[in-house]
Amino acid sequence: MSNVLRRIEIPLLITAFCTLLQVIPYYLNIPVIDSASATMRDWMLLVVNMAVFVGVISLGQVHGKRIQRRGENWPYSAVLIVFMVFMAIVGFPLEGFGLGFANAQYLFMFNNILNPLGGTMYSILAFFITSAAYRAFRARNWDAAFVLVSGTIVMMSNAPLFTSSLPFLVTWKNWIFDVPNAATGRGVMIGAALGAVALAVRTLMGIERGYLRGGGED
Amino acid sequence: MAILQSERLFGLACLLVIMAAVAYYIKSSEGGKAPKVRRVAGIDAIDEAIGRAVEMGRPIICSHGIADLRAATTGPQTLAGLSVLSYVTKKAIASNARVIVPVRQHEVWPIAADIVETEYKLAGRADEYDSDDIRFLSSDQFGFSSSYMGLLMRENPGANIMIGAYWAESLQLAETGNSVGAFQITGTAQTSQIPFFLVTSDYCLIGEEIYSAGAYLTKDAPLIGSLAGQDIGRMIAVVLSVLGTLAYTVGINTLLDLFGM
Repeated sequence: MSNVLRRIEIPLLITAFCTLLQVIPYYLNIPVIDSASATMRDWMLLVVNMAVFVGVISLGQVHGKRIQRRGENWPYSAVLIVFMVFMAIVGFPLEGFGLGFANAQYLFMFNNILNPLGGTMYSILAFFITSAAYRAFRARNWDAAFVLVSGTIVMMSNAPLFTSSLPFLVTWKNWIFDVPNAATGRGVMIGAALGAVALAVRTLMGIERGYLRGGGED
Repeated sequence: MAILQSERLFGLACLLVIMAAVAYYIKSSEGGKAPKVRRVAGIDAIDEAIGRAVEMGRPIICSHGIADLRAATTGPQTLAGLSVLSYVTKKAIASNARVIVPVRQHEVWPIAADIVETEYKLAGRADEYDSDDIRFLSSDQFGFSSSYMGLLMRENPGANIMIGAYWAESLQLAETGNSVGAFQITGTAQTSQIPFFLVTSDYCLIGEEIYSAGAYLTKDAPLIGSLAGQDIGRMIAVVLSVLGTLAYTVGINTLLDLFGM
């Protein structure tokens, strides 16, 4: 029995069935399939939410072991575990006990620690863009020269210092965005969509197995 | 109530034709006669990246992106990234290299862990598998990004392979990888992130190349055949683009009506 359950065809069949159940309602109005598709999406949400514990367990294992062994930078792991447990407790959905998203401690941590940290990480992107642009904006060949010129125009068109005296920069920028940029982007998107269709066909036919069990060789 | 959704009928017909073409090329390649596929430098370089990491005695970091498996446009990118992970792990085990997999989506973690563990089992070295190397970092986008950047700084990898869906963190990760001297192969179908990867990586897979990576790496004839089937779709797209442009220019909206636009 266990050998039957371990057969590679089972996950492949489940994948194919679930895929078709989500694709068919997009093209066909069949109430039974619509209903089954909606139910499956609810199941999916349940599975995904259950998987939250997988993440917590993984974090606990990695950082718990590091604390236990007094590994490198273990105090940071201790901070992570303490805050994770604290947020889980105060954010637990038991409103009757004063816990949950409206809990004052939870809100304090969320608004004064998590949000500013996220904002800080996002804002340092500006420095990364600068260093990347420094490397990219070198006219080593014709292609790089086009990038340099168009990038310079787009940057200047976003600075009032330049647009106040050179208003045509905005028109140039719009042309760059609407014509070459949009055309290239659509080309990439069409190609990617075709690639995704081919991937879907390979998955439905059960020959794309890289995502499961080492390519399904056993 | 009509069973067929009329405004989506033409799209369905196009999809079926493309799928049929892909299926046809897969079937016709089953005898082992694969069509010729152009070289993709970025995919060919994966072996070089692994070799470099082995020579330097450093680990390999292999990420499949930050998207889940549910979204229509980004889910397939995660699948493509996982296919690459499977190949990278197989090669790394053969070369005695360590692979670290940073994970953002908790529902993807068991799949990534299963892929790596199974590769170790297939190689007969199950005891060497360390689940700590499949690391769930954070479900928060920038929490994941900062953890990944820290991972790059601490582990100092010889190769950093990032193939999947990325958003604003793409540049942070690739630029940090660049600063620690990792050999970088990146790839995404997110058009807004491709320029960042192009600037900061040694090789970058653009759009559809990431979906073909799994097929290309296995060198399996039916999988390679499916890539030829995509060409039919490409021809349809080109013909429809030209016809649509001409028709719209002269005021004919038939194609737009057919697509329900």
